[in-house]
Amino acid sequence: MSKGFASNYRILVLATGLFGVFGLLGARLVWLHVVDRDSYLRNIVKARRQIIVEKARRGDILDANGAILATSHSLIEVGVDPSALRKPDDKLHAKDEAKWPQLAALLGLPLAELEKTFTTKFREPAPAPTASAASSAAAPAGLVFNLNLSPAAPATVKDGTAANAEDDDTEIDPAADGAGRHEIKWAKLAENISESTYADIEKLNIHGVYGIRVYRRSYPHHQLASHLLGFVSRQQQPVAGLERYAEFYLRGQDGWREGERDGRSNELAQFRTREVPRADGFTVRLSIDANVQDIIEQELATIAKTYQPVKATIVVSDPRDGFILGMANYPTYDPNEYNKVPKDEQERLKNVAVADVYEPGSVFKIVAASGALEERLVTPDTTFDCSLARADYRGKSLSLPADDHFYDDPHRVPLSRVISFSSNRGAAQLAMKLGEEKFYRYARAFGFGSKLGFPVGGEVNGTVHAPGSAGWDGLTITRMPMGHAIDCTVLQMHAAMSAIANGGVLLRPQLIRQIRDAAGEKVYSFERVELNRAVSTETARTMAQMLMGVATKNGTAPDAAIAGYEVAGKTGTTQKLEPVELANGQTVLRYSTRHHVASFVGFFPASRPQIAISVIIDDADAHAPNGVAYGSKVAAPSFKHIGEQLIPLLNIQAGRGVVPTNLVAFEGGRR
Amino acid sequence: MKTTDSHAFVNQFLIWLLVTFSASGSIGLGMVWMRHQISATANANRRLEARIADVQRRIDETTTAIEGEKGSDVLRRRNAEWHLGLVQATEIQIVRMPDDPVMRLARFGNRDLFHDSVTAVSFRLAAKE
Repeated sequence: MSKGFASNYRILVLATGLFGVFGLLGARLVWLHVVDRDSYLRNIVKARRQIIVEKARRGDILDANGAILATSHSLIEVGVDPSALRKPDDKLHAKDEAKWPQLAALLGLPLAELEKTFTTKFREPAPAPTASAASSAAAPAGLVFNLNLSPAAPATVKDGTAANAEDDDTEIDPAADGAGRHEIKWAKLAENISESTYADIEKLNIHGVYGIRVYRRSYPHHQLASHLLGFVSRQQQPVAGLERYAEFYLRGQDGWREGERDGRSNELAQFRTREVPRADGFTVRLSIDANVQDIIEQELATIAKTYQPVKATIVVSDPRDGFILGMANYPTYDPNEYNKVPKDEQERLKNVAVADVYEPGSVFKIVAASGALEERLVTPDTTFDCSLARADYRGKSLSLPADDHFYDDPHRVPLSRVISFSSNRGAAQLAMKLGEEKFYRYARAFGFGSKLGFPVGGEVNGTVHAPGSAGWDGLTITRMPMGHAIDCTVLQMHAAMSAIANGGVLLRPQLIRQIRDAAGEKVYSFERVELNRAVSTETARTMAQMLMGVATKNGTAPDAAIAGYEVAGKTGTTQKLEPVELANGQTVLRYSTRHHVASFVGFFPASRPQIAISVIIDDADAHAPNGVAYGSKVAAPSFKHIGEQLIPLLNIQAGRGVVPTNLVAFEGGRR
Repeated sequence: MKTTDSHAFVNQFLIWLLVTFSASGSIGLGMVWMRHQISATANANRRLEARIADVQRRIDETTTAIEGEKGSDVLRRRNAEWHLGLVQATEIQIVRMPDDPVMRLARFGNRDLFHDSVTAVSFRLAAKE
């Protein structure tokens, strides 16, 4: 190194220069990082910060055997941004256009329709509504929304104009051009496109065509157990059934992560600062057996085809623990297409087994008979004079209901025959022996007049008038025992019969067996719930024995008998109330002779009950034998048919051989 | 070396400056490389996560499709279309075994050995050559 370069002056200049440059750099850094820090930081945060929400997967609903009844999966709504399509002068335009037929085929769209969507770049301004159009409420014919839950495309932006309110398949630029037109930013081509199809669409690589992933609830078995499952709307809101009841378990918890994105809005994964993982929804396992459910729905389909009733319901449960194995109604619907149920058929969405009431008819005789037995007022051998047209009750002579059965000796009909022949007069005398207060108490003890706590379907109370109330008149003590002047849900009647089957305990009908987390670990298990004891085990045992007489050739329902099995049950044929206009113009409700509710509610094997089945058919008279839908002719055969199919499926073994026929053992009473 | 000599001082200063620049440059480059590696790894993880999510979506889609195919309506339709003639078993076709099926089969298999009457039991022996 030369001496000249190393002079003190030059060293000083060099050092000053270096320090000066570093000083300037330092000053600039201080300026950027201290003085202007906040403003720059605000810009950065605004431009780069992002919070990505990670949607939790909604839990599945499984049947008792693990079959999936409701699940969630992703679907893609494919659309096009017409303004982003390559311009005709672009050399790649022709290449893209050549792929349109392939795209149309993948989407299942006519090519002409696809081309129209691609080439429509503006939405014309809506014409001013005329007076007549305005008065017609702007609702196009045939446009039906269910429960006010119209399916709306998630990517829809509505600008408030009438035209856009009707069309929710496009996203438009809110700013109109000079001619009042709005540029279309996204037009839906197809929805419900599967992942695999969308992968093929992506391979086409058509500029401007892209999809929006949405999660949809799917019910793979379609209408199976639809009234129990309910459905989730397209906005992912649980609307009815288990979907709504078990929302707390099913919905899960969305996760999120905070981080930064680059200029193309891609996440810069290295700058993630905070992250909360998503917690997927729990799996709800039901007591419903999809096979049992299918059997009863097939039976309902047969009933509907044969008798064309207004509605019908079948309930199957295990009377030992109250868990429902199957519950189905006719008419029904497919929860995948809940929005396609016509407006005038919205009743199809209703779970009539719990949300509708009916007069139970003769099946209700089990209450009066059980009460009288429990109070030791009668025995199965106690006889009743069923020829009486009137009877004295608390100093009054009351007319008794008609009996249309033939007895060898109508003056001495034993209680067991009163049940097996379904004598109205015998039932009335039973209640009169019991007294109205006790009779009412037993009706309530069997669960009538109050909700059983069934989780779904909008359960109603039903009506049981208390003695002394406005609804209880002088004849109620003779009419209510035969199931008139009272109304209940199908499930209430089913639960009352199950109480007889299980040894006298009224159980809460339940639907959910278990809750499991996403890893399959058990979170909660539902157990048998006793509501109250209706009658003693001995009384229930005696009742079951008497009810076995119904399903014999000497009873009212020989068609319910299952070969090799002891069937206990009770028929019911209720006249429906219909409005009748009197001469003075007043309308009153009268019992119809042309419209009936036919029912059979029973269980088997009577000595070791494993299954309780209720079949209720509303207004099947038009196509019933002899024009009257008797429970014995319409409902009892269905009971038998279902029972026969359930025996091998659920491995139901006949009680005989294990317990003598005349002795009835109940597992339920001991648990 | 005389440290008070300006020549030596310049040499030392320049060397230290070079060393400092080299060191800080190396550290800087190392940090850039490290940050790049962090970025690459994080992005690789992100892509893997996306891939896993995609696979999960396809599993859900396939599971739904399979469950749909297992539905009773579909099975009934297939049974009719393919003329399989499958019907549900009836009670008359079922033989119930009240005892343990393993013991039952063992009893059937060995009924000759444990018979009440005297029976000849033969044992086959391999002859050693």
